Amino acid sequence: MLLGVDVGGTFTDAVLIDGDVVVTAKSPTTPQDQSLGVLAAVEAALALLDARPGDVSVFSHGMTVATNALLEGVGARTSFVATAGFTDIVELGRQDRADLYRLQARHPAPLVPAERRVGAPERHAADGTVLLALDDAGADLVAQAVAATAPQAVAVCLLHADRHPVHEQRLGAALARRLPGVHVSLSHEVVGTFREAERAATTEVDAALSPLLADYLRRLLDRAAAAGLPEPSIMQSSGGLTSARAAAAHAALTVLSGPAGGAAAASLVAVATGIRDLLCFDMGGTSCDVCVVQDGRVRETAGREVGGRELALPMVDIHTVGAGGGSVAWRDPGGALRVGPRSAGAVPGPAAYGRGGTEPTVTDAHVVLRHLDPGTALPGGLVLDGPAAHAAVSALADDLGLDVRATAEGILRVADAEMVRALRVMTVERGVDPRDFALLAFGGAGPLHAARIADELGITRVVVPRAGGVLSALGLAAADRRTDEVRTLLLRGAQLTRERLHEAAAGADEVAWDARYRGQSFELTLHGVAADPAALRAAFDDEHRARYGYADADAELELVTVRRTMRVPGPEIGLGTGDGDDVALQGPVVVALPGATLVVPEGWSGGADASGTVVLERR
Amino acid sequence: MSTLDPVALQVTGGALRAACEEMGAVLIRAAHSSNIKERRDCSTALFDAAGEMVAQAEHIPVHLGAMPAAVAAVLGEEHAPGRSWVLNDPYRGGTHLPDITVITPVYERPDGGRLLGFAASRAHHADVGARVPGSMPADSTTLEEEGVVIAPRILDDAAVHELSERMRGPEQRRADLRAQLAAGAVGVRRLQELARRLGVDGLHAATTANLDYAERRARACLAALPDGTRTAVDVLEVAEGDLELRLAATVRGDEIVLDFSGSAGPHAGNLNCPLAVTRSACVFAVKVLTDPDIPPSAGAHRPIHLVVPEGSLLDARAPSAVAAGNVETSSRVADLVLAAFGCALGQGTMNNVTLGGDAFTYYETIGGGQGAGPGSDGPSGVHVAMSNTRNTPVEALELEFPVRVTTYALRRGSGGRGLHRGGEGVVREFEALEPMTASLITERRRHAPPGADGGGPGAPGRTLLNGRELPAKWTGDLAAGDRLRVETPGGGGYGTAHPPV
Repeated sequence: MLLGVDVGGTFTDAVLIDGDVVVTAKSPTTPQDQSLGVLAAVEAALALLDARPGDVSVFSHGMTVATNALLEGVGARTSFVATAGFTDIVELGRQDRADLYRLQARHPAPLVPAERRVGAPERHAADGTVLLALDDAGADLVAQAVAATAPQAVAVCLLHADRHPVHEQRLGAALARRLPGVHVSLSHEVVGTFREAERAATTEVDAALSPLLADYLRRLLDRAAAAGLPEPSIMQSSGGLTSARAAAAHAALTVLSGPAGGAAAASLVAVATGIRDLLCFDMGGTSCDVCVVQDGRVRETAGREVGGRELALPMVDIHTVGAGGGSVAWRDPGGALRVGPRSAGAVPGPAAYGRGGTEPTVTDAHVVLRHLDPGTALPGGLVLDGPAAHAAVSALADDLGLDVRATAEGILRVADAEMVRALRVMTVERGVDPRDFALLAFGGAGPLHAARIADELGITRVVVPRAGGVLSALGLAAADRRTDEVRTLLLRGAQLTRERLHEAAAGADEVAWDARYRGQSFELTLHGVAADPAALRAAFDDEHRARYGYADADAELELVTVRRTMRVPGPEIGLGTGDGDDVALQGPVVVALPGATLVVPEGWSGGADASGTVVLERR
Repeated sequence: MSTLDPVALQVTGGALRAACEEMGAVLIRAAHSSNIKERRDCSTALFDAAGEMVAQAEHIPVHLGAMPAAVAAVLGEEHAPGRSWVLNDPYRGGTHLPDITVITPVYERPDGGRLLGFAASRAHHADVGARVPGSMPADSTTLEEEGVVIAPRILDDAAVHELSERMRGPEQRRADLRAQLAAGAVGVRRLQELARRLGVDGLHAATTANLDYAERRARACLAALPDGTRTAVDVLEVAEGDLELRLAATVRGDEIVLDFSGSAGPHAGNLNCPLAVTRSACVFAVKVLTDPDIPPSAGAHRPIHLVVPEGSLLDARAPSAVAAGNVETSSRVADLVLAAFGCALGQGTMNNVTLGGDAFTYYETIGGGQGAGPGSDGPSGVHVAMSNTRNTPVEALELEFPVRVTTYALRRGSGGRGLHRGGEGVVREFEALEPMTASLITERRRHAPPGADGGGPGAPGRTLLNGRELPAKWTGDLAAGDRLRVETPGGGGYGTAHPPV
């Protein structure tokens, strides 16, 4: 049996797969120690199949331990070592301010304060020339200075160490001698690419979070072993699984572990349905996560900001906007109807939850429009309160000078516009036409909006899996195991030979190349291109033309970075089974799914396949 | 007063903004020069057929209020589908010469129909063919010395080629201009799509409503400020002494008048500021003082009125040089408005450094301390006002140019004292690895950024060549091994620090 467990903000979901049989269970998330909720959810799932822990052969896990620690800015007491004269590079960042017009707005406080930053007397030039050598004795002096700051973790980032790591290695060894048992993250091991601010920031995050994550994984492994479960594999931000040991060594790799489960689920849907190009949106109570599957592959990014901190690591490319079922609708001082970013949250929640909320939310608009049936029982014993929703929307309607129905419809249009913007950022702004994609909707609120959003984007096919409420956990169970190695090479002209490319690609299951025209400072990532300079040139020119409308025949090509991926494919699983009947749907109609409601507007029709997956087409 | 309902208002406003952002994304990704790509020194905007700016994606504030003048400069030209315009002449729609603006008219259909409006982009090019590499000379006295002056003209392939050949790094110039054309093409497509959905009249109603909406919000904010006149006086630092700038800011009802009467006359150097740039700085400061969420459109600018003495430093006339006006005088104009309303000031300069030779040009602006606020310390090591460009990574710089960075750190102790401390400045020291030219345009070297409400001033900045202090504006030659050290100013503090008990 395969087991996937996904820790969400409110619930921990477990999915157990035995051949074609898929069962799911939920247990409240336990923020103080997520492993308690994990074990509870697993027990509940096992009970449904009357199975024993020993029946589980593979246990995959996505969690938010690293994410939460990063967002809250809590981590181990960390010290930072940089080339002398450059110890402030993380705080300086890229020198742009946090907000253009709120002048005192700040970036998140540095994880390492000034008094725990240590300069190392060393220097490499960009070409690897040693300008100031750091020998073992010098490294030990630095380690002594670091020890005096009493750290629980140490991050090291020296200039040009991505290509010339010898001084970092020497410091790593000296720190291990001086500070046995203290976690050390070296920038060339964590990141491997040039641009010091991002590499240093990532290394610092890695150092500060790794001890916390290691503690958590130790507890989880102990509990799993005690329960007779196999050792869990951990979802990385890249969308692939790794061992608990590897995850504990580099916490920066799992900062997006939770959302990456959703992305893995999206690629599972692509495989199971044969629909290879999917725009995915996972809409819950407070936010909406968007990702893109192109030709069966979840699109990745080489780096992004998480919680205001730069992370230069391969991650699934996920864009999050603050539009969910609980997003509050309001009238702004200029008289426009706005939705979010504030959410009514779980308490008091939408007015329709009957917990004292009086502000109109997206959920309330759905109740007014009868997409959600008043009187429906929700998980947790809630019953939707129609009059409360109506009262909340009607107060806003008076304010806007519209009738209640028009206001409810307007709330949905504005919320849709927000999500459409998020989907456009992920498509058109990256040079991709959304009309070539099917829209995959999941999460509690996703299927309510799917067809409307598809219409806005000119998309004519919508996919809604039956297991949408626990899709991330299902994705975990099916995910590949994966290791990434990313290395800046900076080869151009005569250096860019077949031999060098072959050497760079050797032993990897997949290789991607980051290249640019010389003088550009952004790279394009090329997938599936042979280790051949001419092929690389042609692929780059094509990609540049596709994205920017022209190729520059005169410009020299520079290979900046090689991205190597080692992959062990995950198990082949389906999306579970439906009710067995191939239901035909004809809009306008509202369909109740397990844990979600699907709105099929006029002009849309379709049906459910044997797995219960609904596919809608625009007529 | 517009008649668009509150829902359509929000939805169309979002669509216009999204279109501008997409134009910006295309421009940043397709451009070659690091000014645009890494430092995002560019903006994109959409205009209606009458030339009113309906939405803007501004990556740096100095472009905020200055784009409309560019479209106004080509409004009367003969437009046609597929035709684009280019300009950089500060006296005909531009700001300073490195900022090149490309404007593409948008028609109903690719083959014609009614004129819907204009898509425009402005980008800071790394070089426009001035006497000195980088085209930010410290000592220019006429516009011609600052580079190729482009009066509004058609930008076709031949023009791209011809203009690029007159500048340094012609391949990069070509690529950057093409990137601007590509951004314009995206704006054209998006506006055409909107017109198909809403109808041409519907689109016009939507843009008009969005302009009115921004105006209503701006007026609501201004009405919330107490009526009355506040004043401020500040200076710019030139070799001959100080140039004084004066402001009387009057809030009356839901409007604001910014009166610069009494400010210095034209500058023989290049601190002259075209009116569009002065306006831009004012719009920025008012936005800071009111609600930053007001959509950036010409509607928000309607209640802001400027009184600027004709032909003064803040209303430059041809053929005055303007290189520093855009970057430095604009900062001081914003400072005046903020100071009039009781704000502690940030570093007040962009610390422009240009290093170069015939083979390369490297231009960088360096962050410093921000002023503190009534509730918080000022951020350290950031751009404080009219710029928000990113730094060039040390590793990227050293890979590309014959320059080494020997120090890049916060300048500790430079933030002004107070209940809330001003932000710290920055130290960035360069070593030349071969002979090259250096050009500095800086401010706040003699006069410190003031604090407010009892807070102390930030430390003034300084620039050292091999340990010897240089003037605020300087152009000279560096030999291999020379070290140029820039120490940027700290921000002013806010409030009186409580005495130790």
